[in-house]
Amino acid sequence: MSAEPGPPLPQPITSVKSPFRMDYTYVAGAGRSVFLRGLAERKLLARRCPGCSQVYLPPPEFCSRCLTELEAPFELDGRGTIATFCVVSFPFPGQTIEAPYVVAHIHHHGADTRLMHLIGDVAPDEVRIGMEVEPVWVGEDQLTTSMTSIRHYRPTGVAIGSESTRA
Amino acid sequence: MTSLSAPYTVEFPFDRTVGPKVGTFLAGLREARLFGVRAPGGRVLCPAVEFDPETAEETGELVELAGEGTVVSWTWVSTREGDPLPHDFAWALVAIDGTDGSFFHAVDVGGDPGRMSTGMRVRVRWREVRVGEIGDIGCFEPVPV
Repeated sequence: MSAEPGPPLPQPITSVKSPFRMDYTYVAGAGRSVFLRGLAERKLLARRCPGCSQVYLPPPEFCSRCLTELEAPFELDGRGTIATFCVVSFPFPGQTIEAPYVVAHIHHHGADTRLMHLIGDVAPDEVRIGMEVEPVWVGEDQLTTSMTSIRHYRPTGVAIGSESTRA
Repeated sequence: MTSLSAPYTVEFPFDRTVGPKVGTFLAGLREARLFGVRAPGGRVLCPAVEFDPETAEETGELVELAGEGTVVSWTWVSTREGDPLPHDFAWALVAIDGTDGSFFHAVDVGGDPGRMSTGMRVRVRWREVRVGEIGDIGCFEPVPV
């Protein structure tokens, strides 16, 4: 077909900005709020299921297995072992920490669930599954009802597991 | 005890790569020119697409359009953050003159839904600052009679 009369076609552009943004309100719920309020007081509050005895940290309001309301919160001392971890080496948009850094699932002593947090004060290549860690709390003026009340976890220097426990 | 709550935003800064037909359509918007694209059977589609949604065949030449059309369907909405207009408006399907199908965009009737009707004539209102994206068409507005 012949071209239409008139000015020439513009040069095609090759890409457009197509940002995606969703604004939510996160509602913690009664159970999670107990845990978050504990963080503002440097307390890690766990709760036990009266039905199956599973200890949750962080605890919801009801046992995810029994659907039973959990017992009264009690404090754990914060120490635990690294159940698994990931070294984040790549930058990505919105990243607030400079790579490389370590994110781990921490299995607290006395709890049956895991809690995800940063591992610090140790070189990423020295982090091991089974390593015992403890929380490093932020200063008094920065404590709040958020996981950010814990800056990161650091090794206690005590080896609980061994190399053979690495996946 | 009451539940805690906090704002929570999920955001991805995507860039979308576009093909030659869509790229020309968008570049046209930047120049305040509206283009459709020729599809098999002589139909003209606007906005332009790379492939005909009916036959999946590659589309053909770009066709410049006058930027006027007829509202075929609309719904009235309250304005929200991020919307193209600061007051209440209609989202509408506009059958652009010289095209087949319809074009989805906002219609500005000054916040008065009584001025909206199916079959009304509308035209493109271009943004002052245009960058080569669909938002370069600020909205459609009624054609003065």
